[in-house]
Amino acid sequence: MEAKFPGYRLLPYLLIFPSVAVIVVFLVVPFAQAVQQSFYRTSPFGATTRFVGWDNYVQIFSTPEYLRSLLTTVGFAGLVIAGGLSASLGIAILVTRRIRGLGFYQVAFVWTYALSPAVAGIIWALLFDPAVGLGTYVIQLISGYRINMMVQGTAALLIAATAAAWNMLGYNICFFIAGLQNVPKEFEEAARVDGAGAWRTFWRVTFPMISPTTAFLLFVNMVYAFFQVFGLIDVMTQGGPGGATEILVYKLYRDAFIRLRGNFASAQSVVLFLMVAAAALFQLRVATRKAVYSR
Amino acid sequence: MRFRVRRRVLYQVGIHATLLLILMAVAFPVYFAVVMGTLSHQDAYAFPPKLVPGGELWRNVSEVWQRVNLGRLMLNSTVVAIAVTVGKIVLSILAAFAFTHFRFRGRILLFPLSMITQMLPLPVRIVPAYGLMASFGWLNTYYALIVPYLASTTGLLLFRQFFLTVPDELPDAARVDGAGPLRYLVSVLLPLSKTNIAALFVIEFVYMWNEYLWPLIVTTVPDMRVAQIGLKMLITTERTAAEWNIIMAGAVLIMLPPLVVLIAMRRQFAHGIAMQSTK
Amino acid sequence: MNREGTLKRVLLVIASLVALGVGVAQAKTTVEFWHAMSGSRLAVLEKIVSDFNATHPDYEVRAVFTGTYEETLTRFIAAYRAGTAPNFVQVYEVGTQTMIDSGAIIPVYQIPGMLGETWDWAQYVRPILLYYSVDGNLWSFPFNSSTSMLYYNKDHFRQAGLDPNKPPTTWDEVFAIGRALIAAGVVTNVLSFGWPDWQFEQQLAIHNYLYADSDNGRAGLATTVTWPDPFSVKVFTTWTELAREGIFLYGGPEYNANSAFTSGKISMLFQSTSSLDGILKTAKFEVGTSFLPRFPDEPRGNSVVGGGSLWVRKGQRPEELRAVWEFFKYLSQPEVDIFWHKGTGYFPATSGAMKQLMDEGWFAQSPNHLTAFLQILSGRQDTAASIGVRLGPFVEIRDYVRAALEKAVAGTLSPEAALAEAAANANRALREYRELIQ
Repeated sequence: MEAKFPGYRLLPYLLIFPSVAVIVVFLVVPFAQAVQQSFYRTSPFGATTRFVGWDNYVQIFSTPEYLRSLLTTVGFAGLVIAGGLSASLGIAILVTRRIRGLGFYQVAFVWTYALSPAVAGIIWALLFDPAVGLGTYVIQLISGYRINMMVQGTAALLIAATAAAWNMLGYNICFFIAGLQNVPKEFEEAARVDGAGAWRTFWRVTFPMISPTTAFLLFVNMVYAFFQVFGLIDVMTQGGPGGATEILVYKLYRDAFIRLRGNFASAQSVVLFLMVAAAALFQLRVATRKAVYSR
Repeated sequence: MRFRVRRRVLYQVGIHATLLLILMAVAFPVYFAVVMGTLSHQDAYAFPPKLVPGGELWRNVSEVWQRVNLGRLMLNSTVVAIAVTVGKIVLSILAAFAFTHFRFRGRILLFPLSMITQMLPLPVRIVPAYGLMASFGWLNTYYALIVPYLASTTGLLLFRQFFLTVPDELPDAARVDGAGPLRYLVSVLLPLSKTNIAALFVIEFVYMWNEYLWPLIVTTVPDMRVAQIGLKMLITTERTAAEWNIIMAGAVLIMLPPLVVLIAMRRQFAHGIAMQSTK
Repeated sequence: MNREGTLKRVLLVIASLVALGVGVAQAKTTVEFWHAMSGSRLAVLEKIVSDFNATHPDYEVRAVFTGTYEETLTRFIAAYRAGTAPNFVQVYEVGTQTMIDSGAIIPVYQIPGMLGETWDWAQYVRPILLYYSVDGNLWSFPFNSSTSMLYYNKDHFRQAGLDPNKPPTTWDEVFAIGRALIAAGVVTNVLSFGWPDWQFEQQLAIHNYLYADSDNGRAGLATTVTWPDPFSVKVFTTWTELAREGIFLYGGPEYNANSAFTSGKISMLFQSTSSLDGILKTAKFEVGTSFLPRFPDEPRGNSVVGGGSLWVRKGQRPEELRAVWEFFKYLSQPEVDIFWHKGTGYFPATSGAMKQLMDEGWFAQSPNHLTAFLQILSGRQDTAASIGVRLGPFVEIRDYVRAALEKAVAGTLSPEAALAEAAANANRALREYRELIQ
């Protein structure tokens, strides 16, 4: 790229300085401190600090709680991602079936995105309130079984995951619609002329073409299910009952701010970072591969 | 021929019917919440639950207003969301301008910066970040709620991508006219960026209004809480039962501002999504 | 006209300079006080503080509500490390050992000497004095002390045909009464706990069982918790059994369970005495209170003190310390102490207030305010088990106990396995704490 304003040496640095400063001071430095603190243990008031090597990490991987929390998170995220993405892809396909009112449906579905995880959580907590929830009532009518998310761990996890997937529906649908609209119709028609059925056409032509969108949404939904749902869990279950919904970020919060184990929490932060970094790099790879397909 | 037209119509009707059914199912939880917000305490605890609105909305709303000082919390949320949104837009425009209009060594920072913000979500740095706020004396202040949020990859990439599409003749013409880069940015690029600014505004406003974890830990004084935390405060009052009618009246109020912004600016939002999905 | 305006301005400047000078000369000493008093307690505390400020023109106490006890302690620690801590802070009893070991505070017994005064520490009610003392010296200022007791809904008892003046005294009776209330269709669940982790401590203490070694951490830093042992497993098993029958409903931490009780969804509640006034004001039924139920075949101990006390930060200017101390002395005046007790249900901390309350016949007038007193004064005060637990990482350990109870009640783990899991975490926390402090 050519410089559109040659001769300015200092100005570009001044222009990026505020962004860089914020990123360095509030993102990079705290993360570096987290890495450093993860190798120490400090008394609550900071009077004594001991170097403990990998001990905090050893504790992460040798205690059942962390692994249980990890499994819970993976299960939760799996439900949110698989359930949420497939539902929203289905809806997006229906909306883009060359029907009228596409604009209407776009707005009609997007609004769940405006709801915070905490609001989504509280609404679903109401729906499945053990005493007065409508969901509780309907399920009891159908199956005769009265679910109680305050006591039953699996029920709590399923309901929380449903609430989370519901919360992300609007966002996912919007992106899928945009992605599907970008697929040139000629490709699908060519496939159809070749005699492929709708199902085959979708999987062989359309789905690969929207894979960058899918990868992007996969990443966004993962970040959502790993981190953003904190508010949802906090208002719905607070990690309970009996740790059944204690996802990693909730455990980290409790360790850091309730159990006062900042160093141990910092080690968890570092582990979380490795997961996010892996996911981000994966998304980047898929997103750069898209060059083959689009434009 | 007529048969084919009828099939086409049937097909359309079928899809619309399916979509509308799905839509109703998706919207139902919110409908139920709104109904709950209008019920009296007694009706709220009826089982099977009531599905028709009652007449107690105002009473419930005023109760919420009093109980957790929701007016103040909504004000805090508004101040914070707008400050962060505007700040993010300004900072990302400046940075994107630098990255697209100048040749300088710092340009290699573009990729790392955008990756870093993606890879360092709050939970991976939360303990030291909290310590940082404490050492700045920022706990329970707007600073803590605003400043750490000001960097935005989404905005940076969005504006960068847009600025790249601006034809070279524009800056060239500005240069010939004797306008400096900042003048060009303000009087030429900014007006062109209106749609993108609006798109980013929606995305960031909604995001910031809905933030929960960080406001939860950096504020503890009731007056500095934000609306989302008000929800938590509504649930855990010890004085009275978890009154769903009151809580839902609060939830509806709290979800309203981002909803209004999103719906009012849906076109700009769709544009933003389109930009993001083709980045 | 112009000249007149100038003159006015000059006068104004002079006047404000004078006002400023006077203001500086009479500057108040302002001290900051962080506390965790919410709900019905908040208004009572605010009244006490504003009365103090009104009657003590030289001092101003600025009381700041900083969230729950947990949040307040976390914030105090962060602020201390950042050098922005308040002059004094309210810490719940769980944080006692952490504060003692912090190196961040002045033990209150040293303050009168520092200010050239003497103070009669024996005037404070004995169980409270014992709880917050190290080697016979008081480290934090007694403020809001409570213990746990049983609240019950007398109307529900009548509806089920039970004697409203015979609340359960043993766990067997809890079962019997619970079944009767459910069978009569009065409620679907009967009993819930506030501060469930603390109720576990209470059960151990009222049966004179230790919670941790080194005399509950009072003779030195504790190294291990005593549970799971047969008695603690018995407690957990009883609660799990009650939950299985639907009698016990796990009600969440702190004061979350209160609402179920005051709205009549359940009939019995174990909760801090400090909820007494809140509950009496909100409940639309006749509230009864009684001692915590026991296992009759087990030894007797005492219910332990809970609530909070006031800790003074190290490194204050003399006039600030003076202001803090004047406020503390104010709190110990019988009238103030009585006002606090009557408004909240916390124990009056001094024997002077106690005597005055008896003289005016307050307890006859409001017997519910007496229940907790009788309970704590009728128990033993000579064993470590009955005085209370003091552990460095107690905040953390309580969290494990709460999780263990949730798991046991939900049936995720057996009572024994749940306790064992919590114990493994607790012992690890104790070890780490010792390694750092010693």
